[in-house]
Amino acid sequence: MGPPKKSKKDRGTVDKFAKKRRAEDEAYTQLAEDNDSSDHAVESEGVPGAASKNAETNDEHIMTDEYGAKDYRSQMQLRPDHANRPLWVAPNGHVFLESFSPVYKHAHDFLIAISEPVCRPEHIHEYKLTAYSLYAAVSVGLQTHDIVEYLKRLSKTSIPEGILEFIRLCTLSYGKVKLVLKHNKYFIESPHPEVLQKLLKDPVIQKCRLLRPEEEGFIEGTLEGKAITQFGTKLPATAGDTEKTAAEEAAGPSTSTAAAAGQPADGAPAVPDDITDFYEKIDKEEEDEDEANLKTVSFEVAQEKIELIQKRCIEIEHPLLAEYDFRNDTNNPDINIDLKPAAVLRPYQEKSLRKMFGNGRARSGVIVLPCGAGKSLVGVTACCTVRKRALVLCNSGVSVEQWKQQFKMWSTADDSMICRFTSEAKDKPMGCGILVTTYSMITHTQKRSWEAEQTMRWLQEQEWGIMVLDEVHTIPAKMFRRVLTIVQSHCKLGLTATLLREDDKIADLNFLIGPKLYEANWLELQKKGYIARVQCAEVWCPMAPEFYREYLTTKTSKKMLLYVMNPSKFRSCQFLIKYHEQRGDKTIVFSDNVFALKHYAIKMNKPFIYGPTSQNERIQILQNFKFNAKVNTIFVSKVADTSFDLPEANVLIQISSHGGSRRQEAQRLGRILRAKKGAIAEEYNAFFYTLVSQDTMEMSYSRKRQRFLVNQGYSYKVITHLKGMDTDTDLMYGTSEEQGQLLQLVLSASDLDCEDEKLPGEAGYRPGGGGGVVKRTGNLSSMSGGDDAIYYEHRRKHTGSIHPLFKKFRG
Amino acid sequence: MADTKFGRYASCSSVNMSLPVQGLTNLECKNLQDYLQSRTPETLEKLYTHPPICLAVYRELPEIARQFIIRILFVDQPVPKAVVSSWGAQRCAKDQTEAASCLTNLNVWRVTAIPGGLAAWELSPTFKKSLRQALLGGGKPWTMTNTVEKDSKPRDISFLDSYAMSRWRCVLHYMVGTGARSSGTTDAEAISPDAVRILLHANLMKRDDRDGITITRQGFQFLLLDTRAQVWHFMLQYLDTCEERGIPLPECLSMLFQLSFSTLGRDYSSEGMSCQMLTFLQHLREFGLVFQRKRKEGRFYPTRLAVNVTNKEEGQVVRTTLTEDVHLQNSGYIVVETNYRIYAYTDSPLQVAVLGLFTELLYRFPNLVVGVLTRDSVRQALRGGITAEQIVSYLEQYAHPNMKLMESAIRSKSCLPPTVVDQIKLWEMERNRFIYTEGVVYNQFLSQNDYLTLRDYALSINVLVWQNERTRTMVVQKNGHDDVKRYWKKYSKIAG
Repeated sequence: MGPPKKSKKDRGTVDKFAKKRRAEDEAYTQLAEDNDSSDHAVESEGVPGAASKNAETNDEHIMTDEYGAKDYRSQMQLRPDHANRPLWVAPNGHVFLESFSPVYKHAHDFLIAISEPVCRPEHIHEYKLTAYSLYAAVSVGLQTHDIVEYLKRLSKTSIPEGILEFIRLCTLSYGKVKLVLKHNKYFIESPHPEVLQKLLKDPVIQKCRLLRPEEEGFIEGTLEGKAITQFGTKLPATAGDTEKTAAEEAAGPSTSTAAAAGQPADGAPAVPDDITDFYEKIDKEEEDEDEANLKTVSFEVAQEKIELIQKRCIEIEHPLLAEYDFRNDTNNPDINIDLKPAAVLRPYQEKSLRKMFGNGRARSGVIVLPCGAGKSLVGVTACCTVRKRALVLCNSGVSVEQWKQQFKMWSTADDSMICRFTSEAKDKPMGCGILVTTYSMITHTQKRSWEAEQTMRWLQEQEWGIMVLDEVHTIPAKMFRRVLTIVQSHCKLGLTATLLREDDKIADLNFLIGPKLYEANWLELQKKGYIARVQCAEVWCPMAPEFYREYLTTKTSKKMLLYVMNPSKFRSCQFLIKYHEQRGDKTIVFSDNVFALKHYAIKMNKPFIYGPTSQNERIQILQNFKFNAKVNTIFVSKVADTSFDLPEANVLIQISSHGGSRRQEAQRLGRILRAKKGAIAEEYNAFFYTLVSQDTMEMSYSRKRQRFLVNQGYSYKVITHLKGMDTDTDLMYGTSEEQGQLLQLVLSASDLDCEDEKLPGEAGYRPGGGGGVVKRTGNLSSMSGGDDAIYYEHRRKHTGSIHPLFKKFRG
Repeated sequence: MADTKFGRYASCSSVNMSLPVQGLTNLECKNLQDYLQSRTPETLEKLYTHPPICLAVYRELPEIARQFIIRILFVDQPVPKAVVSSWGAQRCAKDQTEAASCLTNLNVWRVTAIPGGLAAWELSPTFKKSLRQALLGGGKPWTMTNTVEKDSKPRDISFLDSYAMSRWRCVLHYMVGTGARSSGTTDAEAISPDAVRILLHANLMKRDDRDGITITRQGFQFLLLDTRAQVWHFMLQYLDTCEERGIPLPECLSMLFQLSFSTLGRDYSSEGMSCQMLTFLQHLREFGLVFQRKRKEGRFYPTRLAVNVTNKEEGQVVRTTLTEDVHLQNSGYIVVETNYRIYAYTDSPLQVAVLGLFTELLYRFPNLVVGVLTRDSVRQALRGGITAEQIVSYLEQYAHPNMKLMESAIRSKSCLPPTVVDQIKLWEMERNRFIYTEGVVYNQFLSQNDYLTLRDYALSINVLVWQNERTRTMVVQKNGHDDVKRYWKKYSKIAG
């Protein structure tokens, strides 16, 4: 019986696979958007040691089976009633959840609290336990033993020891100490005196302690709190109502599952009692904790050393949680602002806010909702709940205006209460309750106008109740630190759609702002009609032979222009625009490449917006797009990636994009996600096309870009042939002469035209790449959105070193 | 002058531009009838000397054909056709004709003329004799006999079932390449070179210079069959090659049928078997058709695989304990997600192995396998001759019940995410982007003028595939070759 000879060769292929996977990952890192490698060393300091621990490496020693799969079978035992339990926990921290399990709802709520969602398609969801996610879990009040116990009960198998160890490691020391701002003084507070003792033994922290002469030991206090389940301030009667409904809601799932458990005869799988029981217990505990008067001890620290103490605490693995007891803050005046009765929170918005205000205080953290799912309402509601001075930071002048409108729409705030602070609109700040500005205005280091100077001074003197950070993923940690040193605020709320960066530096936000409080499931929102049902499609455009020949022989920078200007892509684009205009849709066409943008737009006679377009012109074009029935299509560059609120648009065509950026893809999708009318009637009510030139680099970029959305449950339909395009004679570039002319045009384009548009703040924008302090802050002056005048001022300052692109257009 | 030119022209070679496409035929699953019908009459005659074969053939025949035989089995004269057809009602004439032609094809009966010029049916004498023996007894004793002594440690049916399945799975595992690679390989898990030869012969696996022995397209289809059909197909392939091994076909077949007539759970004696039959028995033992404690032991148990081998319909299959396996095979266990993830609720090494053919497996849990469909993994399967259609149909066939409940699944035919299906097909399509055209090359023209004239002519009648003016080379379609040649002859005659 001769042994088969196959084994050797197959191992080979397995290795090859593994290598390939690795190579692909490396390609990703190279694509990282932010190549600020110089910042990296600095930024990594603000992260605790435990955070760098990684469960991913836990399974390195585990044998792989003959297919190259990690074999966990020896690590765990299947439980006899596994069919009724919904999840598997892998030794590397990945958790798989059956979405069709009867206890899905419980398990989902629990997992979203303790782990990061990796992918959430239809049937089986994948989550990942990370140090950050566990930190977040602790900060919303979960205890180590609860996490472990509940995970054990939900799991189909026994939990690998390494994971239990990891959970303990990441959660035990977290969440024990809080940094509290009371009466304009900072206190370190903890219910565990021994932890504070330990902290005070540290020489660095000792130095930071502020000792008043009359005090010796800890300041003792009690923490009294009552859960607030209602947002904004409303009449007491309604408050009672909402609380009641909340209680009912909480009771809802348990009764329904209890009912299911009660009738196993129906064929419904019985839910093991321990799961529901425990869930209720955790729920109750959380409430108990909220309502009990906890004894706490605290000591005061010097305000100027806050940054230092935060850093030190992180180093000794006791990261400070920032909580704001806004109800008992008598020092800062309340502002008179309420939600309008018309403002109704959707369930997921309420859920996210409940995480934030769970124990009656305001926690700092990040809320992740898809674009178009009503992030602004969450922000406005948070401000109305805190009712203290609020500062809203966003990343462009346009979105400043949009935030102001949102405040006026949802809350009782009027013009006199809202102050805009941008280069173009400087309202009188005194006496206002809400200030809306951009990141660049705050962090600007050059000389300001007198007026701006006054506002800045005022801003710095204030003690802000809440700071709302819009599109928080776009700001690098350095910039954020600057904001923190300038502005004093009690709590910080980050809002974003995509907590995702190609360079993974997003993790730092966890410790600078706070943990992720909530992340919505895109697919669920889509099913319930809160966001549009989008049909994603990748349209393959064959390269014209002449273009492909050039593509193969030419150097890299030209390559990109060749595949963007591919005549069949142009034709597809024209065809799609025509098709959707006939349907009465509103279309946005995105192109990162300015040369292509202008060529396409001018050729098709459509308006376009890109970096140098002035603020006025932008608003004019957008208004026309909104209200003018004749303007149904606009062309935009990447300036419109974020914060351009275009609720009318329901078709998006992407002709060129930024490499393999998953974030850009998601942000762009967000432009058309706002729920459309007649959402239920049609299967899809929004369309997202990506035009890809076949056989070029674009194909692989496109695959990478889609990863995030695919993991959210979106699926891309590949269209290899647009029906009716061949017979349409109105399309341009149909003949080979025309195509030849286009090719000539492309070949004669300068190198500059071949590049993507560079916005100030991006790596490529930096002239010379010097590391001087002045220059660096200049780069940070405006991030990714449309730039306001700060950018122009800055430009004037550096006439010698502006980006050649703008030199060309301006000069 | 013209001749030389023509001579030059004649030197042009005809290039067949299409590549041989290997392994495009599908797996052919013959039943017993098909198999026998494809034998020569002489072979059949030889086979019919064995009563068990005749009995098996008889059992496999259509109902009506069996009626015919039993009616004329003991009639010593040919029976007129008209009489035979009068046995059935007129409306069943079609069935009768079918039955009759079936019998003819199997060489069971033939047409003879009886006095009076009428056509009549006459059973083949060999068949008649053997079938009578099979039914009434007599003749040589069957090679398989009941044991005389009682087995001191008798084996029960469930043991035999699990033994048979474990042996049979070895073969399947070998095919998907897991047999020898799993840890703790023992000799029991490997399969013999003979078995490998059969797999190669059956085209279920192929030897590749680069990859060694790999599974073929047919092999993949083979894995998708149910166990009974797999065994039958495999045994047929075995019979094809048994003559080479010096084992006579009729005896093998006879033995196989005797096994299928035996009782499950009983032990039989191998005493009196010829040397070749003992070898055959060892082979059957390897594939799990019989159980024998030791090679030399004169006692063996047929297993369910052997008992079921000739049963063609599911309903007749003696099935009691294969349920676990059947259950696993029939109910869906695969979840396919829109992000190309595959989750399979299984721990069966075979199912995992089949999945491993076209997915990249990531994690193994005790009752779940997590994998992902990647371009590489699918392409590897495609390279192995598996088609996208086969992958899709496999996934569809074993889709988890929850997949079928989905709204979109109900609306469309398939329960798989359409994008995944599309993508698998696109991955296949991207491998076939060449279009092959058969053509004839014309080159070595003496003058540019000649070249241009001929090229323009080819162009005008629309048969030009490719041309290059600088090297004076052109390719015309094969079906245009005659026209172009004729034109060239005419042209060179005029020019000359």
